[in-house]
Amino acid sequence: MEKTIVQFILDNIFLFVPLGVAGIIATLVLYFLPKKVTSEASEDLSTDFVTLLKVRVNIYVGVYFFVWLLILIIGLLSDFLIPTIIGGIIASIPLFVLILFECKTSKSKRTRAHGDH
Amino acid sequence: MAIIEINQNFGENTQLLAPFIIVIAIAWVFLVYYSYKKYGARMTLVYFLPIIIATLLIESAGVAGGRYYYPGYIVYLSVVGGAVPLIIVLAWSVNLFLFMSLGKYFISKLYHQKNFPQILLISLAAGIFGVCLDLLEDPIAHHNNWWIWEESLTGFKFFNVPILNFIGWFVLIFFMCIATLLIERSKFSENRKVLLSISSLAFTGLAIFMVHGILVRIFESIGLA
Repeated sequence: MEKTIVQFILDNIFLFVPLGVAGIIATLVLYFLPKKVTSEASEDLSTDFVTLLKVRVNIYVGVYFFVWLLILIIGLLSDFLIPTIIGGIIASIPLFVLILFECKTSKSKRTRAHGDH
Repeated sequence: MAIIEINQNFGENTQLLAPFIIVIAIAWVFLVYYSYKKYGARMTLVYFLPIIIATLLIESAGVAGGRYYYPGYIVYLSVVGGAVPLIIVLAWSVNLFLFMSLGKYFISKLYHQKNFPQILLISLAAGIFGVCLDLLEDPIAHHNNWWIWEESLTGFKFFNVPILNFIGWFVLIFFMCIATLLIERSKFSENRKVLLSISSLAFTGLAIFMVHGILVRIFESIGLA
């Protein structure tokens, strides 16, 4: 009979406990060892953009779109229409939300810049 | 402990496996290269290596437990008795880095303060984005035999994929994202961040194990799993 991953881990607890204990001890040692570096690198999210055909695209949105589109095409080529279309619609929600937010933000930035002049 | 297996019959009993592998490989190479150029080698290890180790253990346990299996791939890794294709663990590292970055991009527009609630919001968004994409990917994967869920599994299914799979996706991405962001924003040196990202898998794994276990119980008690 098949087992969930949790059941599998419980059945093999003697394998996982030593790994877990070693990890916890190592983490505590690494955390409490002195010699901290105080400077925190600030991340610039505005650099994650490329311009494709005069359109400014976020690289991660582009990669998500690439994976979404190709999996969708594979699904359609597999004669698996209904699940592919339903899944495709659900998986397109993040794309719509992200593009909508980007449009809204850039519009409000333009309005503010225009107002300044 | 780890065993590498090579399968001579690539694509056996599967459909359109090569295009799927190519899509994942392109996404992985691109994101690793981009991360290396933007964040450097050590931070790229922080983003990609822990999830590879975690999913190698989890996926191997899933296969060894008999819930699903992966036919037709070329290179398999086996750590706790179940053979997992190399491309699957690489795909998981793409998932974490991609959804975490999308979560950062999305949440940074809504919530500007860099604090723990922002990390929670980013992780929540990352988990939801992950589940959305998996609702497309998993039914197609099952249909094309890229991975096969046991027919005997009971409970609510979305086009033959058990609902617990999607819960698992959310829990894994959510907790791995929290751990990665906490380490990324800590003030340790990058060398120590790499070591912490691997050793802290014990804590992250424990959290995933407990939360997933509780959710499995809840879903079983209401007949959904």
